[in-house]
Amino acid sequence: MDPSEALDLIRQERANTGRALTPDPRLMYWPWGLTWLIGFGLSFLRYGPDGRTLVALPEWVPLFGLTALMIAAGLFTGLVGARSGRSVSGPTSRQGIWYGIAWSAGFTGLAVVFGRISEVLPEHLMGLLWGGGMVALVGALYMAGGAIWNERTMFTLGAWISAVNVVGVLLGPGWHALVAALAGGGGMLAAGLIGWMRLR
Amino acid sequence: MTIDEPTLPDLDPVIHAQARLRVVAALSQLNGGDRIAFPRLQEILRMTPGNLSVHLRKLEEAGYVEVTKTHRGRTPATLVQLTRRGRFAFEEYVAALRTLIDPGEEPS
Repeated sequence: MDPSEALDLIRQERANTGRALTPDPRLMYWPWGLTWLIGFGLSFLRYGPDGRTLVALPEWVPLFGLTALMIAAGLFTGLVGARSGRSVSGPTSRQGIWYGIAWSAGFTGLAVVFGRISEVLPEHLMGLLWGGGMVALVGALYMAGGAIWNERTMFTLGAWISAVNVVGVLLGPGWHALVAALAGGGGMLAAGLIGWMRLR
Repeated sequence: MTIDEPTLPDLDPVIHAQARLRVVAALSQLNGGDRIAFPRLQEILRMTPGNLSVHLRKLEEAGYVEVTKTHRGRTPATLVQLTRRGRFAFEEYVAALRTLIDPGEEPS
């Protein structure tokens, strides 16, 4: 084994180990991308800009669809993440668990606050409050995740989601759902693809 | 031996063997303080349990690897990690390889 062969072997083995211990970015991002694309897409079709109804879906469909898809995506990515982290113990798995708890705490906190406010909020602003607030939280948590694991793709995705969320909220109800579906959901699909190509 | 000849570094014989180099390289990818379960390491390296055990013992004797026997719930588990010394030896080894490839380059 000459020196350059040894260096090649090290490079291969480190890359191989990294792949084995990192969850497939496609499996981590694509379920969320689809959830946003479909969930916010339904919301846009039912509660369009300026109070228009583009497709006469039953009122409950968008919120029910988004919630059901989010639960499914959360369970799926949780399982994939836990599976890739299995059999490694130490600071890194603790980081992952704490990060997961931060997501749950953030969503629970926002849901409680928004639930209270929704009682007095005009109907047409409810979607904007829930959508805009939750998307802001997702953007910030992805940025934090990027900082924790030094993951450029994750940080960029979080920054992108945070930025398009502000644009969507400023454009107003209806438009926000469209922006979240296409730019947000699309951004997650792109992040899954880019992350996967980087790992290969 | 002439005076001008640049002194080439010796390669650490514990690490400079294909199988053990693969073990150390794989372990070096773990973050500091993290331990990996033996069967998983075996799966990643595609080695037989016996083969991996032999190399781990050698690395353990050199103080490069720490093997911990513990319990996960009721099932016994064997966890493996690079020691600080092992990590340092690996970095030195990589630096030595670079110097051998390009002797003009000072190892940093």
